[in-house]
Order: sequence, then C-alpha cells, then structure tokens
Amino acid sequence: MSRNDLGGLGGGGRRLEIEGLVKRYGSVPAVDDVTLTVPPGQLLTLLGPSGCGKTTIMRSIAGLVRPDAGRVCIDGRDISAVPPERRATAMLFQSYGLFPHMTVSANVSFGLRMRRRPRTEIAARVTAALTLTRIEELADRYPGQLSGGQQQRVALARALVLEPDVLLLDEPFGALDQALRGHMQVELRRLQQAIAITTLVVTHDQHEAFTLSDLIAVMHAGRIEQVGTPEVIYDRPATRFVAEFVGVENVVGGQIERVVGPTVDVRAGALVARAVPASGMQVGEAALLAVRADSLVIVDPPSPDDVLAAQVTFATNRGGAVLYELTLADGQVLRAAEARRGAAVRAPGTRVGVRVPPARCTVIRP
Amino acid sequence: MRPGTGLLLAPALVVFAIFAVAFVLFAEVSVATFVPGSTSLAGPATLANYRHVLASPLVHDATVTTVGLAGVMTALTALLGYPLAYVLARTPSATVRRGILFGLVVTFLSGGVTRAYAWLVLLGNRGLVNQLLGAVGVPPLQLVHNKTGVVIGVVHYLLPFFVLTLLGTLKNIPVTLEDVARNLGAPGWRVFLHVTLPLSLPGLVTTSSLTFVGALSAFLFPELLGGGRTHMAASMIYERIVTNYNVPEAAAMASLFLGLALAVLTLFGVLQHRLARRYRLSPPTRL
Repeated sequence: MSRNDLGGLGGGGRRLEIEGLVKRYGSVPAVDDVTLTVPPGQLLTLLGPSGCGKTTIMRSIAGLVRPDAGRVCIDGRDISAVPPERRATAMLFQSYGLFPHMTVSANVSFGLRMRRRPRTEIAARVTAALTLTRIEELADRYPGQLSGGQQQRVALARALVLEPDVLLLDEPFGALDQALRGHMQVELRRLQQAIAITTLVVTHDQHEAFTLSDLIAVMHAGRIEQVGTPEVIYDRPATRFVAEFVGVENVVGGQIERVVGPTVDVRAGALVARAVPASGMQVGEAALLAVRADSLVIVDPPSPDDVLAAQVTFATNRGGAVLYELTLADGQVLRAAEARRGAAVRAPGTRVGVRVPPARCTVIRP
Repeated sequence: MRPGTGLLLAPALVVFAIFAVAFVLFAEVSVATFVPGSTSLAGPATLANYRHVLASPLVHDATVTTVGLAGVMTALTALLGYPLAYVLARTPSATVRRGILFGLVVTFLSGGVTRAYAWLVLLGNRGLVNQLLGAVGVPPLQLVHNKTGVVIGVVHYLLPFFVLTLLGTLKNIPVTLEDVARNLGAPGWRVFLHVTLPLSLPGLVTTSSLTFVGALSAFLFPELLGGGRTHMAASMIYERIVTNYNVPEAAAMASLFLGLALAVLTLFGVLQHRLARRYRLSPPTRL
C-alpha cells in the first residue's frame, strides 16, 4: 500500500521516549522508574500481568495521568507539561469509549471538530479513515447498532483520522471473541506497518504481543524486566519472571559447572545442559536453566549415551502435540512437548530418554 | 406468567388499592355540595365546585404564580444542583464527597419549620446577611416575606432531592468517555458540552420533572417565608379549608392541581423518552 492510498494518513514515524517515569498511588509505586524508547514507526508492546503498571504508563503518555517524576518526549520534545487535549497521542481505550449519542461519522469527526478544521477537510479525512478501516457503510449508524469488531474499527478510525504522532492501544482486543481477535490482530499489524505509525500496545496476552510487535517490553510490579524483539523475549528470557510469563515450561535451579568458551555447562541434579549465560557468570555460581517444552527431544527407545533416563508420569494430549511430564532418576520433573504426527500417546510408566539441545537453553541469574 | 406470580403481586395491589380508594373518596368530596356554616358534605353530585374554582380570578393568579415560581425554583435548583452532583460523581477526594453529602443529608433530615425559621434569622431585615451587607455599605435588601424568600427556602429544600437523583445519572456515564474526549482534543468545557451534558439530558429531564412537581406542591415555605403575600396553590387550598371550611371546593382545587402535576410529569416523560431514544442509550437488540 502506498502513501497515496491512505488519504494523507500516516504518521511518518516519530520517536517516543519515556525517561525515569514514576507514578505512586499512595505509597505503592504503580510505575517505578521506567525508561523506554519506541523507535519511529515501530510497534512496542508492554506485556505484563494486570496491575503491573502498563496502563498507567500509557495514560501518562496520553496525559490522563500526571506522573510523579520523569519525562515523556516525542522526537526529543518534552511533552510532560502539555495538557492531554493538546497532545498528538491518540489512544484506543479498552472499552472503545464510542460516544453513544453520536453516529459513527460524528464519532470519527469529533477530534477534527474539536480542532475546528474546515468542513470540507473534515468530510474528506473522515471518509479516508472510514475507508482505511473498511467501515464506510456504517457511517450513519449509532454505536449501539454495531458489533464488537465494528465498534473497534470505529474507535481505530477515530484515533487514526487525527494523524497522531503516537498511537496508544490499551488491551485493544480484550473484548473480542477468539476468532475475531486473531483476525483483527493481523489486520491492525498490517495497517500499522502500512502507515508506519509509532505505536504502543498494552496487553497481558503473550500471543497478542508476539503477533503484533516489533519490540516487547515485559513488565512486572511497575518495572521493566526485559525489552527485546519477540524472538529474543521468546528464546532468551532474561529473568525468571519473563521466562515464566512467556510460558517457558521448564525453569530449574542449578549451578555453573564449567565455562566452555562463550558457553557454560549448568548442572541441575542429573541434568547437565550447555547454554549461553548472562554476562560474566562464574563457575560455582547459582543459575537457573530455562528450556521450553518443545525444545526438549524425547528419545524412544532410550539410548544409553548422552541422554538422560526418564519415565513418563503424565501426558496431556493437546491435539496436534502431546505435553509429557517426565520424571528423571533424581526425582526432578521436566515438561517436554512432542508433535504427535499420528502416533499414539505414550502411556505413563514408559521409559524414555531426554536430550537437551544446547542452543535452545537459556541461563538466567536467579 | 409462572404460577404464583399473581400472589407476589398481591402486596403491591393492596397498597395501590388503599391509595386508589383514598383518591376516590377525595374525588367524591370534590363533587359534594358545600353547605355554608356547616361541615356536612351532602347534596347531589355537582360540578359546581369545579366551575367556581375555574372561574375564580384568585385561582388564576395563584396558578400563574405557582407554575411560574415552580419553574424558577426548578431552574435555580438545576443550576446549583448540577455542578454539585457533578463534583460528587467525579471527585477523587473522599473528603470533598463526604463534605457535600453531609451538607445535603443535614438539609434533608432537618425539619422544615426549623429551616424556615433559620432562613428568617439569616435573611431578615436585621438578619446576618443584611448585617454583612450593611457592613460594606449596601442598604438592606428585602429577602424574606416575599417571593425571594419563598424561592430561597424551596430551592434549599429541593436541592438534596435533585442532587441525589441526578448523581445516579452522572455516575452511569462512563468516565472513559470524558477521557476519550480529552484525548481527542477537547478541553474540559467542551468535554462537558459535547459529551457529559448531552448524555445526562434524559436523567436531567427526569430529575427536573420531580423537582418541578415538588416545587408545585410547596406549602410550608410559602406559608412561613412568603409573608402572606405569595400565594401558591397549596396555601390557597389550605386557606379554603381552615378559613372558609369549604372542603368540597378545596378538594376540587386539589384535584385540578393534581391533574396539572400529572400533565407536567407526562410532558417531561415524553421528552425524556424522546431524548433517550435519540441518544440510543439502550442499544437495540437487533444488530
């Protein structure tokens, strides 16, 4: 899609920077010294459980929350003192917040009317935004007559029509059913890339974060635990919280046994695995080993060499794959997922071997 | 209808029947013949009382005064009450909220006579207000024993009803909508004008209609603060009974004012219904 198809829409990409943001409610810090940069035209997702402060960060950027400390900058310009109605930050609220007493086109034109734009310009831009979000035929309906997906498109059109510097999406798909959610996620991602608008998304859904993002910042208790591309967050979680939040099934405690070039051997009971460590870890230091269930290889029948002996203690059939609970000789439990490929599920009690591929393990400082 | 539902309705029907019977008796009195100098209500049913009331210039004047004053009182109550209800609905400060609620509830619970005399003390020629005005060189104002006094007293009396009723409406308007409007570029006053006010209109109409009917039936404050010069409907009906003993004519007047109140309520009801439909506050089930 070229610039011309968008009726003048397209942010052109601004850099969003948050520096040392702090917000306390009473004595509890909701946001505790957060610094974050969203590069121009990219989409960054704040991922974390509810109550971790992600929405407070978003509302601070929109100016709806007054932070106790820190700055919000767009392209280097500090907007901390700008009142919310004068900020070029369009926010899509979780509940959409469509005005029930206005038609779709009146909802979409609201921001332009508040800016006292000329009538003809308003009409042209509203039409372009409705076309972009593919809801031209709904222009004269009232929000009460729309489905959830349609309401979301209206809210998105209402935000995009202002050509904001930054687009803020608060749990944008929370109110949609599963099938529609996946569809809208892909559509939003396409749209965001097409108009290259700097976007911040807040969600607690890791799948949503992986689907949408250029960058993911995982948050916990008001702090950012890790920022990285979806691949890095998925493959190399930096903390135990991140690992568990993005669903790493095996996080086991052990210690560094050997340093081998850039890699280390970690021993956790009977399990020894080679992995890339966090920087500067020493032999003898305690470490956590994080491995995804689908990274473990089940060897059946077990061979005696370079394979851990294990016994199936529980199996959960997920349809296409099976999640096995494997108990090692020392009583340690690992979870391994295996594509079923038409085979029968192994019964509890089956003896198997487990191999831990070195490239798929991450060492985390506990 | 499920079996037994009729039984559940029974208590409501009993209460309704008691009031209905009372009103039938009341209406019966209004068509009785008044025998001067006696309290007996006898004679054949007649509409003479109604004819007499409708023809009386005194009643005309009182009706115009009553409706006019009730309108002024409702408007003033709304002007004072809306901001109070809005602050109450939106303030994050528990102290502010408690302070306003306390003030309203104290007003609500203190007796009417007490309050009327308190107003006399405050607003009288040598009352606190005029003393303060005198101290800054303003000549004394006539604040009681006239319409001004009645309006002040009644507005003060109606304010808690208005605020507490409207509060529900304002609380039902999602704060998110106001945040959205801010975010889309509307400064505070335009948020109010384009979002909060229109969405509160149906509730405002309902609340105002109740306030208006309350003002129509005001009796105590016009009696005590009106200085005998401000004739509102209720006072006139009262006088018919206690000075003329003309109970049938009083009943006829009361019936007519009841009709007026019902007409006003219906009018407001239609308006409210129209607004609610226009604003699509209840989304249609069909999508």
